[in-house]
Amino acid sequence: MSIEPTGEATTTEVAVRAEGVWKVFNPGLANEVTALQEIDLTVTRGEFVSLIGPSGCGKSTLLRVIADLTHATQGAIQVAGMTAAQAREDQRYGMAFQQAALFDWRTVRRNVELPLELQGWSKDKRRVRAMELLEMVQLADFAEHRPWELSGGMQQRVAIARSLAVDPPLLLMDEPFGALDEMTRERMQNELLRIREETGKSIIFVTHSIPEAVYLSDRVVVMSARPGRITDVISVNLGQRNEDTREAEVFFESVTAVREALRGRTSGAVRSRVGEV
Amino acid sequence: MRRLKRGALGVMWALGGVLISVLMWELVKWLGGVISLPMNTSDSAMPHVWTMIGGVGQPEVRGSETTVLEAVVAASAYSLLIALGGFIIGVSVGLLLAIVMQRFAFMERGLLPFVIASQTVPLIALAPLITGIGNRISVGPVQWNTTYSVMFIAAYLAFFPLSVGALRGLQAPTATALELMRSYAATERAILFKLRFPASLPYLVPAMKVSAAAAVVGTVVAEISTGVKGGIGRLIVEYAREATAQPAKVYVAVFGAICMGLIAAAIVTALDVYLTRNLPKESRA
Repeated sequence: MSIEPTGEATTTEVAVRAEGVWKVFNPGLANEVTALQEIDLTVTRGEFVSLIGPSGCGKSTLLRVIADLTHATQGAIQVAGMTAAQAREDQRYGMAFQQAALFDWRTVRRNVELPLELQGWSKDKRRVRAMELLEMVQLADFAEHRPWELSGGMQQRVAIARSLAVDPPLLLMDEPFGALDEMTRERMQNELLRIREETGKSIIFVTHSIPEAVYLSDRVVVMSARPGRITDVISVNLGQRNEDTREAEVFFESVTAVREALRGRTSGAVRSRVGEV
Repeated sequence: MRRLKRGALGVMWALGGVLISVLMWELVKWLGGVISLPMNTSDSAMPHVWTMIGGVGQPEVRGSETTVLEAVVAASAYSLLIALGGFIIGVSVGLLLAIVMQRFAFMERGLLPFVIASQTVPLIALAPLITGIGNRISVGPVQWNTTYSVMFIAAYLAFFPLSVGALRGLQAPTATALELMRSYAATERAILFKLRFPASLPYLVPAMKVSAAAAVVGTVVAEISTGVKGGIGRLIVEYAREATAQPAKVYVAVFGAICMGLIAAAIVTALDVYLTRNLPKESRA
């Protein structure tokens, strides 16, 4: 399996490619549900893409298909130039969920070490790497604490550090800030953008929040439910984010564009139809 | 400091409980002499508490060298060892069954009804059966010993609460935690040891407490129904026969059995403290 580009310059530039992906639950049964219908999506390397849509639109399912936690009924998924299954085996992505899912019986540091442990890293190397990551999420002082001694936001930072442990090129995040209060949430968003800048990861981010999607993303993928499909892809050009960004005109324009796309209306805002991306 | 205070308070409550029991006992005895009660409160049936305490130092039978206390302690220790053996076997078997049932859903469907049915077999019916079958077993020079039957029955009672508790515990990890492990391409073995086992502890520990109690009760009852000598179960029966001559003796034996149960509970509690030392307080058993 070669991941190096051979003539085709685009191969390494593509972080994730989904082509004609369908996911049907309980096919042929009375309770058949089409969770994903004909999904085409390409995420280029270093790009931040959010998936947004109403409950049941299949955004989490799409993330799980990319992560090879569930199989597509039809269609092809490519992650880092390989199949989703290979990418999972090779640890080419890190994952974060709405629940931090830290293990209570491990210290914060040993939670971050977990994926490294499963990869068979030596004790010393694990420790060094975990401390490096805890430094990055500014929790080095809490390395020997237990997860349940930490606040929700801190726990989520540990989960992010853990998802970065094996240094995967791609992060898959399923509403990681969904359970946090608004203030913590905004802080975490800034933190995530900083980490992204430092590490250059490609990120696919599932969220319910329009401002969150706009603030974080290069592109917002808008989905609709029953059957779950991509209805719009909206490019966001906010440049370097800072605290003023959240109050900038261009921010609100993008928020409006996403909101209207979710309602199924067209408007004059910056956007491109699905076929063009 | 606060911990010390709470510890002292705990001891006081415990002593208070003992004191109240003693007072109740003597009150019933006294009432029996004043009004007519539906039970025999004479000194031969309900000896005074001080008679029981005095009974501890009496020779076991007239003229014997060993005192009642020595006999009871020896018998309790003997039974406790058998119970411990039964507990260890029961825990191992129960854990193994739980792992198999967790791993294979069809095993849970197929095995669990048998596990539950096993506990509906009356112990009294089981004891002679096991002794009967066991006595015919001999592996090379090793001959089946009736104490093995007692241990087997203790294990038989102990495995059930453990396997049910452990199964629930192994199934306790959240869907997210399991997905996380899958995203790491973790093997089933790694998932078992790094996630399911640690996550099962809050369920496993209380199950172990129930199992330990079952092993102790199982040992005492099995000793009586199989007629194995040397244990506290047998001693209680023997002393009960001599109750007319030395009424205090049988109570000393009963207290021996109680102490044995308390020691078993203390062992499990120590195990509990060790196993759950890293868990948040509220999830501790």
